[in-house]
Amino acid sequence: MTTMTPPAPTRAPARVPLLRRLGTVLLAHPIVRTLGPFVPFLLIWWAVAATGSVNAAFFAGPGEVWQSFTELVRKGMMPSYLGDSLERLAYGVGFGLLIGLPLGFVVALSSWARRLTWPLLLFFQAIADIAWLPILIVWFGFSLTSVTFVIVYTVVFPLMLGIVAGVDQVPRELVNAARSLGAGRLRVFFEVIVPGSLPAVASGVRTGLGYGWRALIAAEIIVGTSGIGFMMFDARRAGEVSQVFLGMIVLGVLWYALDALILAPFERATVERWGLVRQMEAAR
Amino acid sequence: MNTLEINNLRKEYVDHYTGETIPAIGEVTFSIGEGEFVSVLGPSGCGKTTVLNIVAGFIDHTAGDVLVHGKSVHGPGPDRGVVFQSHALFPWKTVLGNVTFGLRMKGVPRVERERAAADILELVGLSGFERKYPHELSGGMQQRLGLARVLVNEPEVMLMDEPFASIDAQTRRKLQQDLTEIFEKRRPTVFFVTHDIDEAVFLSDRVVVLSARPSTVAEIIDVDLPRPRTWRETVEDPRFREYTHHIEERLGGGEPDAQAG
Repeated sequence: MTTMTPPAPTRAPARVPLLRRLGTVLLAHPIVRTLGPFVPFLLIWWAVAATGSVNAAFFAGPGEVWQSFTELVRKGMMPSYLGDSLERLAYGVGFGLLIGLPLGFVVALSSWARRLTWPLLLFFQAIADIAWLPILIVWFGFSLTSVTFVIVYTVVFPLMLGIVAGVDQVPRELVNAARSLGAGRLRVFFEVIVPGSLPAVASGVRTGLGYGWRALIAAEIIVGTSGIGFMMFDARRAGEVSQVFLGMIVLGVLWYALDALILAPFERATVERWGLVRQMEAAR
Repeated sequence: MNTLEINNLRKEYVDHYTGETIPAIGEVTFSIGEGEFVSVLGPSGCGKTTVLNIVAGFIDHTAGDVLVHGKSVHGPGPDRGVVFQSHALFPWKTVLGNVTFGLRMKGVPRVERERAAADILELVGLSGFERKYPHELSGGMQQRLGLARVLVNEPEVMLMDEPFASIDAQTRRKLQQDLTEIFEKRRPTVFFVTHDIDEAVFLSDRVVVLSARPSTVAEIIDVDLPRPRTWRETVEDPRFREYTHHIEERLGGGEPDAQAG
């Protein structure tokens, strides 16, 4: 605005073009912010399907995928497969945390434990989760145990490495401060080491969960008795492309929901409120 | 008996590359009486912070003794409270959580803890900030909190490691003034490390001047200035200038950042 306008901040917004104002309001809305980026993606998908340029045996449009979704829900397959997948994930992640958290802190805090286990950690981390499946199937058959083992395996390593990194990044001075305020070893651990390493531990959990989720789908494809991964592979065999697409979408949506509903709020409630994120960004 | 005694303290490092032994502290001996404010002053890198870290129990020494009330000390302990240059506040605890940390470690009941905390926060001028987190405070306020956290714990001796070095000059003056008032009110025993000559003279009952590495005690100066002290009156006192000039000469002209400020 180049005209001489008296300072009237309350009126100023009225001069902003209506469209842009609408855009600002809309963009500020959480639903628009979350789903907005998917709109062009959906449009392109729909357009490609509508032109019919791709053979329908290899490609399904949004409409067909939606149809097979409602159909599978009605038949009860979708809820039951989803439940199976989530149950396996919960078992795997639960045991993964149970094993990875204490083990991670032991390796992080004890220098001899670290020296002893570090080569092992790197060695076993290099064996891809799926590479365990052949021998697991020999040992445990096509069972929940096999799938759980794979998920636990994929969760534990990023978690442990995250904890080691997190403990290393706790400032020495904070430990010194606590000790000269009268804290013993145990108190230092719970009052300084644990909260101080939490940002890195949280991102370790996040990475572990992400890997675990992928491992689960892969294991379901191979072990294949039920679950989303099984559904996708089974649909391929039957030539139901729309169900394959549907499976992929369900995977994405589920992970997004898990992240948005559980992981992100947890990080916000702790790490961000303590100003740790800001500190870490400043240190970078 | 002195509250803190440092006898023939020596510290050597082993250089990991050459394997050479490098002396950091040649020989340091001095003591601090009960309720006395003693500053340790020296050129940058002379090892004054190393002396403090040894007294705090954060690092080992090669030879000599550190005695608190005649008893040899090893490792950190609540009898020696430390105020850090970097504040070292717990970022995940509120102001109240930080102040009451030491009392919690001692097992003091909650009600008493919070009463003591309220008194101390009042003393350092942080009343009303109990629920804030350290990152929400200014640098000066953070260091007030660092001071309060140690004061409330009533250590035998307070170790202060260049606590105002990272704070802007204006705020630093105010903090020095406030620290003097708190000291005069409560009379804790203070071991204060600084490279700022004016600060050392203004705050202290005695100033221990260290030589360059490997550090030895070059001189111990009794600061005979009346208390209560205020910056305005103290800088006018000709004896204040005499002390600072004397120390500057002793340190070889003084450092650029050790001027009045």
